[in-house]
Amino acid sequence: MIAWTPFLEPLNAMQSVWYLLLIPMAFGIAVVYRALREPSYNTYWRAVVIMTLQVVFGIAAIAIALGVFVQWVIPLLNQP
Amino acid sequence: MPQNTNQEQPVHVTAIILGWILPGLGHISLGQKRRGTLIMVGILFLVLCGALVGGIDAVDHNKDGLWFIAQVWCGPVVIGIDLLNQTILAPLPITGKATYVGLSHVNEIGTLCIAMAGLMNFVVLLDLLQAKQGDDLVCTFTDRKGDAALGRGDKQ
Repeated sequence: MIAWTPFLEPLNAMQSVWYLLLIPMAFGIAVVYRALREPSYNTYWRAVVIMTLQVVFGIAAIAIALGVFVQWVIPLLNQP
Repeated sequence: MPQNTNQEQPVHVTAIILGWILPGLGHISLGQKRRGTLIMVGILFLVLCGALVGGIDAVDHNKDGLWFIAQVWCGPVVIGIDLLNQTILAPLPITGKATYVGLSHVNEIGTLCIAMAGLMNFVVLLDLLQAKQGDDLVCTFTDRKGDAALGRGDKQ
């Protein structure tokens, strides 16, 4: 980490917490999308925060649902 | 924002080209300064995040050709990152590449971030097809301040 050169070397320190990088990605997408869809700047940043949370919690919910399906539902189907 | 009208909208070819050269510049050229600036900030934020996390190896038209098709919608900035990758990293021997090439999740997220920036700019370019001149984000905060400075009352 000490000898890390930004942009030239990948940020390997984030390898174990890679899923946290979903938050800035969802934020960037929300900034662009709400800039296109929002009619007023007064409600813009509120809409960006709401959309970021919707994306992050939506993906987390899909991950939990898939995890439950793979860990519990599929083993149940395989039982004789 | 989009409204159905019977009048035909002109296709803003120059704005679309400007929007590809620098994301957001197309909207700014149509007088939508707030909208264009926010688009520029958002897309450049995604590209910088991707390059910071995955390094310049996050853009590679040789090894990640399909991803590059999505990424290149960001314009010359992504082509520049790819050129840096091809000139700095590609000639290195395998042992030299070890510290510069992203592995596993870091490489995936970096590549995905820049690909999402490219796809979002594609959506922005599609929006330019039906964008109207001067149809910017309305900001009543600054409008009210301006009205107060001019001695005007509140408008409905």
